[in-house]
Amino acid sequence: MSQNDIAFLTVKGLKKSFGSGDTRQEVLKGMDFTVGRGEFCVLLGPSGSGKSTLLNILGGIDSADEGEISINGDKLAEMDEKSLTRYRRRHLGYVFQMYNLIPDLNVKENIETGAYLSDKPLDIDELLKILGLYEHRYKLPNQLSGGQQQRVSIGRAIVKNPDILLCDEPTGALDYNTSKEILQLIEEVNKKYGNTIIMVTHNEAIKQMADHVIKLRDGRIRHDIVNTEKLSAAEIEW
Amino acid sequence: MEKKSISFGTRPKDPLRRRVWRDIRRDWRRYLMICIMLVATIGFVSGMYVANNSMLNTLSRNVSALNREDGHFTLSQKADSSVIDAVESGELPEMFGEDEDFEPVPVTVYELFYKDTAEGLAGKNGSTGTVRIYGERRDVDMYDILDGRAPGNENEIIIDRMHADNAEIKVGDRITADGEEFEVVGLAAFVDYSTLYESNTDTMFDALTFNVGMVTDEGYERISAPEEANYAFTYVREPADEYEEKEMSDSFLKVLFAQTAVSGCEGLEITDFVPAYANNALNFAEDDIGKDKAMGGVLLYILTAVLAFIFAVTISTTLEQEASVIGTLRASGYSRGELLRYYMSAPLLIVIISAVIGNVLGYTVMKDIVADMYYGSYSLPTFETLWTPEAFIRTTVVPIVLMLVINVIVITRALKLSPLRFLRHDLKRTKRKKAVRLPRWGFLHRFRLRVFLQNIPNYIMLFVGITFVMVLISMAVGMPETLSYYQDSMGDMMFAEDQVILKSTADENGDTIITSADGAERFSMASLERKSDVYNEEVAVYGVEADSRYVRIGECAEGSVYISKAYADKYGVGDGDTIKLSEKYEHKDYEWKVQGIYDYSAAVAVFMEREQLNEVFGRDSGDFTGYMSDEMITDIGREYIAKEITSQDMIKVADQLDKSMGAFMVYFQYVCFIVAAIILYLLTKIIIEKNERSISMAKILGYGNGEIASLYLIPTAAVVFFSEFLAIYLGFKLMEFFWRLIMMKMSGWFAFILPFSGFVKEFLLVFAAYVIITVLDYMRIRRIPKALALKNME
Repeated sequence: MSQNDIAFLTVKGLKKSFGSGDTRQEVLKGMDFTVGRGEFCVLLGPSGSGKSTLLNILGGIDSADEGEISINGDKLAEMDEKSLTRYRRRHLGYVFQMYNLIPDLNVKENIETGAYLSDKPLDIDELLKILGLYEHRYKLPNQLSGGQQQRVSIGRAIVKNPDILLCDEPTGALDYNTSKEILQLIEEVNKKYGNTIIMVTHNEAIKQMADHVIKLRDGRIRHDIVNTEKLSAAEIEW
Repeated sequence: MEKKSISFGTRPKDPLRRRVWRDIRRDWRRYLMICIMLVATIGFVSGMYVANNSMLNTLSRNVSALNREDGHFTLSQKADSSVIDAVESGELPEMFGEDEDFEPVPVTVYELFYKDTAEGLAGKNGSTGTVRIYGERRDVDMYDILDGRAPGNENEIIIDRMHADNAEIKVGDRITADGEEFEVVGLAAFVDYSTLYESNTDTMFDALTFNVGMVTDEGYERISAPEEANYAFTYVREPADEYEEKEMSDSFLKVLFAQTAVSGCEGLEITDFVPAYANNALNFAEDDIGKDKAMGGVLLYILTAVLAFIFAVTISTTLEQEASVIGTLRASGYSRGELLRYYMSAPLLIVIISAVIGNVLGYTVMKDIVADMYYGSYSLPTFETLWTPEAFIRTTVVPIVLMLVINVIVITRALKLSPLRFLRHDLKRTKRKKAVRLPRWGFLHRFRLRVFLQNIPNYIMLFVGITFVMVLISMAVGMPETLSYYQDSMGDMMFAEDQVILKSTADENGDTIITSADGAERFSMASLERKSDVYNEEVAVYGVEADSRYVRIGECAEGSVYISKAYADKYGVGDGDTIKLSEKYEHKDYEWKVQGIYDYSAAVAVFMEREQLNEVFGRDSGDFTGYMSDEMITDIGREYIAKEITSQDMIKVADQLDKSMGAFMVYFQYVCFIVAAIILYLLTKIIIEKNERSISMAKILGYGNGEIASLYLIPTAAVVFFSEFLAIYLGFKLMEFFWRLIMMKMSGWFAFILPFSGFVKEFLLVFAAYVIITVLDYMRIRRIPKALALKNME
């Protein structure tokens, strides 16, 4: 924890395996960590290290075999399907590597799908300006570049002003310059709205802009570091 | 960290709602097909129900509105008013003494005299048949003028509309009756002639050469043909049910006989007596219109099942295509209920739009088409289109509820999967653990086999769809084949070449009526009913000579009978079973054990020895109803014959059957073909769509459109080809079942016939349709973009 002394997210003894019998594969082998409110936390690791699985469990779209996750005092394991949905609706925002925009809704409408989930969403026009999409708000996703689509995806996640923004390789499908733009945007969002951000990436350079870096390998946490020499997104290079 | 300078907005309306119309636009072909199918189903079937119901209602309403008779009788001459008064009292003459069981039946008697005369077209030689001319009708058996007006002077006439159509007579034309010329000023439907039976004993009606007309009283005087002293009567007190109607009719006949006998009028005799319930001219059309409903009902069952299938297939395909969107929305916090409502919206909208169009068509165009079919056979009045709740429920409410239920089940079941499974496009519930090892064939063959194995669930769906198609085509092809088979063989289904039913077994001198026709045999007959909740079937009970050459049954044990093959087939009755039949108008039942099945398919009938029948029905042991013979019976006076049935009459019956059912079959054929083509189109479209990603990937790898088509279309073509064989058989079996359902709601029985040529026709039709669809599929394959395989994949 760095920015906040109070643990906002606590993970204890988290285990997850896939398959059964001979084909059983343990993906998370017992994880313990905490993330503070408003922190920018990066989950770093190579393919197969379990970072996406961990993110999915944190996001309540996958379940753990063992262990406990507590977000702001709410224990995910104790929630039934309805409560989890409600939880995701109120507290979580998701950004995927492949954007997953709704192809026949325009930019603004795609963001509205997120805004609809909140009783008190952010001002969409202002958000569109922050995202640099105001001029493109009536375009369909297929009329946008990859970077612009990812901006829409971030907008859709952030518009409901979630407590936690979960980003799964948000720059994985983007070129260098676009990736940097997206990282700057996420940084700006974090600063402006104060959301806790948990980002999965295999890009080592991104750890430099995080408050908190958790390095995974083979389903275990190898390093849990508080970054004291944080750089801005504009400063990092790879 | 404190959130700073944040501007909040308001919660927008659900943006997914805006997507509903776009969903429909994007997938307009599929929705259009579903729409066409629904419109066809709702339009055709509700048109039929509406016309049927409206017509039956009109006929029923006209019984009182046009004061339809409760029966009529003909006397050998006009009766004195004293006789008529006595008859109207419903009392037996005093000289008959007191009969405690006798209940007087007061009636109102109306003179409804007529003259039968030759009809011709003015200025043309030759006759167009017989016209039965009545004077002006004022009190009973009124009429509905469909075109023109009532006659205003002695030179004007109105005639039956049906006959006018057949003889191409129009308002303004001039016809001759008994050599006198009349101007046709109106075409009408007479309430006592909804079916043009010249005589109630005729085997079949004849709207071609028999006509009914009405002129003014002065016009009536112009015709010099002999007048028939025909009287219509209505009961003063309406009978409560058909049993009471029969009792009242019997009592009234007793009074009529008695009163004419004691009248003192020389030569006054009853020459004809027909109560309404036994009058074919009144009842035939109504009964026939009722039969169409049975056929329509079964077609609706089939179409509803097809719709259910299409809804299920369509929604599961939509869910597969939308997996990423669903996964994202669920991960973002959209609830299952919200997604359920959203994914229900487009199909629901389509069903509602189709229902509106279908009902509008049903109540306008289709209703008129069906009504025209009725008008083409019967003399029916102008009918008022009625709101038909049954049609609305069965054609509209049921499909909508069905669609809702199927969608709710399929979507709810699918949404039970985790958002992650949607995001990974992993929607299969069962996972194949290991890849199937394939034989060492060439690569392309193995590729095709893989395509086949991958698509087994889709092919099962295709097979089910083809089976539905086969049921529909079996219906379209088989029904006319069945009719024509029976038309062709009806003449051979006679017991004997000639069959005469006598009015009485004794002539005027009291001698038994005999015939010298070679091989003539006496038989007795009775008519009973097999009662059921669905339909009360009239069953002919024959009593034949012990060693009959025409009906070869064995000796019947006591309480045992033979039944016709038609009876056995229709009701699934076999040797040793017990059958129960009832008197139609009395509360009296008969139970017999089935001793054997007699190979006779023309009617639902029971056979026993004549003596046995006479005993059962309390007749004298030597009593008989008529004669049957292979040699034409020519030596019995016409005055003694109630009915004569020759093979020609049977062919007439079959022709009429074709006329009354044939038109509907053409109507059904259109629906069946439309729906069958749509099913095939939708299913093959789905198979290509489900393989879009693989096809796109194959394109990226460098496979050409032709190669891809051969990889993906050949396995499907093979499946269609082999499915057809099994589906044809299943379709036929299902159609046999549905046919039984139809026949259960109407009298008689004929098995569903589909000759080998019918099977070949079905096979070729479906395969030809598939070949056309393959061309469309090839075009679809060409349109699949390479980028598809790279998009939206986790």
